[in-house]
Amino acid sequence: MDRVTLRVRAVQLLSVAAILLAWEGVARAGWVDPLFVPAPSAVLLAFGRIGRAALAGLGDTLAKTAIAYVLAVVIGVGGGILLGSLGALRRTVNPFVVALYGMPKILVLPWIVLFLGFGALPAVAYATIHGVFPILVLVTGAVRDVDRNLVTVARAFGARRWQLYWKVVLPAIVPTVLAGMRLGIVFCLLGVLVVEMFAGVRGMGHVLGSLANGFQAPELFAATALVSAASIAIVLSLDVLNDRLSHWRGEIR
Amino acid sequence: MTDLIVVDGVSKRYTTSSGPVDALRDISLSVGAGEFCTLIGPSGCGKSTLLGMLGGLVTADAGRVVVDGRPVDGPDPRRVATVFQDPGLFPWRTTVENVEFGLELQGVAAGRRRKIATDLLGPLGLRDFAAKYPRELSGGMRQRVAIGRALAIDTPIVLMDEPFGALDEQTRVLMGEWLLDIWRRTRKTVVFVTHSLHEALALSTRVVVMTARPGRIKSVLELPMPYPRAMESHELVALRAKLWGDIRDESLRAMGESAP
Amino acid sequence: MSVLAIRVGILAVLLGAWEIVGRTANPLLYVPPSAALPALVRLLTLDSYPDLGAHLWLTLREILIAYALAIAAGLGCGFALGFNRLVGRAYGPILAALYAVPAVVWYPSLMLFFGLDAASKIAFGFLLGFFPITLAVLAGIRQVSPQMLAVARAFGADGFTAFRKVTLPAMLFTLVGGLRTGLALTVIGVIVGEILGSKEGMGSLINHAYGLFRTADYIALVVVTLVLIVGSDALASLVEHRAQRWTE
Repeated sequence: MDRVTLRVRAVQLLSVAAILLAWEGVARAGWVDPLFVPAPSAVLLAFGRIGRAALAGLGDTLAKTAIAYVLAVVIGVGGGILLGSLGALRRTVNPFVVALYGMPKILVLPWIVLFLGFGALPAVAYATIHGVFPILVLVTGAVRDVDRNLVTVARAFGARRWQLYWKVVLPAIVPTVLAGMRLGIVFCLLGVLVVEMFAGVRGMGHVLGSLANGFQAPELFAATALVSAASIAIVLSLDVLNDRLSHWRGEIR
Repeated sequence: MTDLIVVDGVSKRYTTSSGPVDALRDISLSVGAGEFCTLIGPSGCGKSTLLGMLGGLVTADAGRVVVDGRPVDGPDPRRVATVFQDPGLFPWRTTVENVEFGLELQGVAAGRRRKIATDLLGPLGLRDFAAKYPRELSGGMRQRVAIGRALAIDTPIVLMDEPFGALDEQTRVLMGEWLLDIWRRTRKTVVFVTHSLHEALALSTRVVVMTARPGRIKSVLELPMPYPRAMESHELVALRAKLWGDIRDESLRAMGESAP
Repeated sequence: MSVLAIRVGILAVLLGAWEIVGRTANPLLYVPPSAALPALVRLLTLDSYPDLGAHLWLTLREILIAYALAIAAGLGCGFALGFNRLVGRAYGPILAALYAVPAVVWYPSLMLFFGLDAASKIAFGFLLGFFPITLAVLAGIRQVSPQMLAVARAFGADGFTAFRKVTLPAMLFTLVGGLRTGLALTVIGVIVGEILGSKEGMGSLINHAYGLFRTADYIALVVVTLVLIVGSDALASLVEHRAQRWTE
C-alpha cells in the first residue's frame, strides 16, 4: 500500500469513527431525543435483540430477491438478444419498452397487490418488473452495437448462425450483461423491500416498517444497517465477478 | 499457370440515401495460382467491393465470380481467407486464441488447433505474446495476429484489404517485407488491396489499376522481377512514375467528384 | 410509417384486450378503459375527490423543496469531493457503496424521524435526488481535459476564471444530465414516500382509492400522477437539449 492509499484509508477510518463518536456524544448528552436518534451503542445492543427475527426476515427477502433476479436476468438478457438482433421488432416495440422503463413502477404496485394478494408472489412479480427493464435496455443496446467488423470477420471465416451468437455476440455482450446484472440486483432488492413495506407480512421490508411504526429506533437502525451491509456485500461480489470475467477489457470500466 | 480466380463481367450498384452509386462496372480479371495480385486505385473505386465478392461477402449484380472452379455463393473458408483493414480481433481472446478462431469454427479438435496456431506464432514474431489480449499489442502486432488467423486455416487463397493501411510508414515497410517472406515460403495466391505505390511495386507479381467510380480496370502492370526488389533501380523508378501517372489521373477525378 | 401503424395497432389491440377482459373479469381487479375514462372525468371535475387540487399542490411543493435541497447538497458535495483529491478518494468509495443500497431501506428511519407528514417525503425525495447529482458533478469534473485547463492557465486565467470559462462549460452537459436524473428520482422518491405512508398528497389518494377497491378512481389518479411525472421530465429534457446545443 502506497502512502496516498494509506492516507486515504486513514481519512476514511477516522471520519467514520469521528461521526460515530460525535453521534454517541450528542446522544448521551441528551441533545437529541433517543426515541428518534438512538446512540450507536444502543444500536449495537439492539442487534442482539432483533438478531434472530431480522436474520429470518433478511433470508426471506433475499430468497424472494433471488427468484425475481433470476427471472429478470433470464427475461432481460433473452429479450435483449432478441430485440438487439431483430431490427424491425426493436423499432416497433422500442417506444413501449422505453415508456415502461421510465414509468415509476410504484404506481402499479397497488394493482399488483390487489391482483396477487399478500405474500411472496406480488413481491417476486414487482421486483422482476423492476429489475428486468434496465437489463433489457442495456442488453438490447449491446447486441445492436456489437462491432460490425467482428461479425464480418466471423462470416468470412464461415461462421454459422449459432456460431455467430456463441462465439461473437455472447462474448461481446458479457461486460454489458454484468453491468446490467449489477444494476438489476439493486432494482430487484428494492422492489422486494418496497412490496414488503407496502403490503408485507414477512421479510425485511415488513420488519423495518413495523419497527418504525413501533418507534423502536435502535432496533430499526440495526435492521437498516443489516440490509445495507447485505446489499453492499452482494454488489461488491458482483463487482469482483465483473472484473474476473471482463479482464480482457483492461482498465476500461 | 492455371487461373485460380476468374472474375467475368462483374458489376455492382449500391443504393445510398443520396441515390444509387455505381461501385463496379463490367470488371473482368483472372488471377493465377501463386500470384501476388495487387488492386490499386483512388478511394471509393470499389477495390474493397471486388475483394468482398471474391470472399463471398458481397454478391454481384451482374457477371460471375469463380474461385477454384466453383462459382462463389458465400464465404468459403476452405478456399479463401480474408484479412481486413481493421484487424477485427476478438478482444476477449488472447493472441493464440484469435489465431485459432477459423479452425475452431471448422470444428478442429482443441489440441490440434492449438498446435497449428502455436507453430504459426514463430514466423508471425508473436511467440512471446501468445497469452496477451489485443489491447496489449501494438498496431503492427494486431495486424500480424489477423494475418495469422487467415494463414491458420491454410487456404490456397488469401485476400488482404489494405491490411497495413492504419500503420505508420516505417512499420508498414517492415510488415511488407515480412509478408513477402511469408508469401514466398507458402506460395499462396494473394489478392491485395492498397493505396501505397511502394507496397504495390515491392510485393506484387501484377498490379491492377482501377478507375475512379464507377470502378473499372484502367491498366495492368506485370512485374516479373525477382525479390527482394531494389526499389531505387531505374526499372522500378520508371515503373513507379508510370503507375503514379495512371493513378494520379484517377485520384484527381475522384477528388473532383467528391469536392463540394 | 408502417412501423408507426404497427405500434398504433399494438396499442389498439392491448386496449381492446383490456376492455374485453375488464368487462368479463372481476370488476375489482380490472376496469375497462370505457369505465376508466368516466372516472378520470369525475376526478378532473373534482367530483370524486373535491380536494384534488390541494393534494396535487402538496405533492408538487414536496417535490420542489426536495429537489432544491438535492441540487444544493449535490452540487456542494460533488464539487467538494471533485476538487480535493484526498477527500474525493476517501469519500468517493463510501458514496458509491451507499449508492449500492436500495434507497428504500432508509425510508422507515426517515418516517420515524420526520413523521408521517410532508417532511419525511421531502427527506426521501432529497435522498434519491442527491446521489445522481453528486455523481454527475464528479463524473463531469473527471471529464474536463487537463490540456484545456493548461491552455487556460497558460493564457493567464486564475483558478476561478478557469473554472468559469473551462471547467463549467466542459462539464455542463454531464451536469445537466445528472440534474435531470436527479429530478426524476426526486419525483419518484416523493411519490413512493406518499404511497408507503401518508395522509395527504397524490400518493395518499392512490392508497385511499386502492384501500376502498375503487379501482377506476385508482386508475384515474395514476393517470394524473403520470402526467405530473412525464411533465416534469419533459421540462427537464427541454433544459437538457438547450444545454446540449450550447455545449456543442
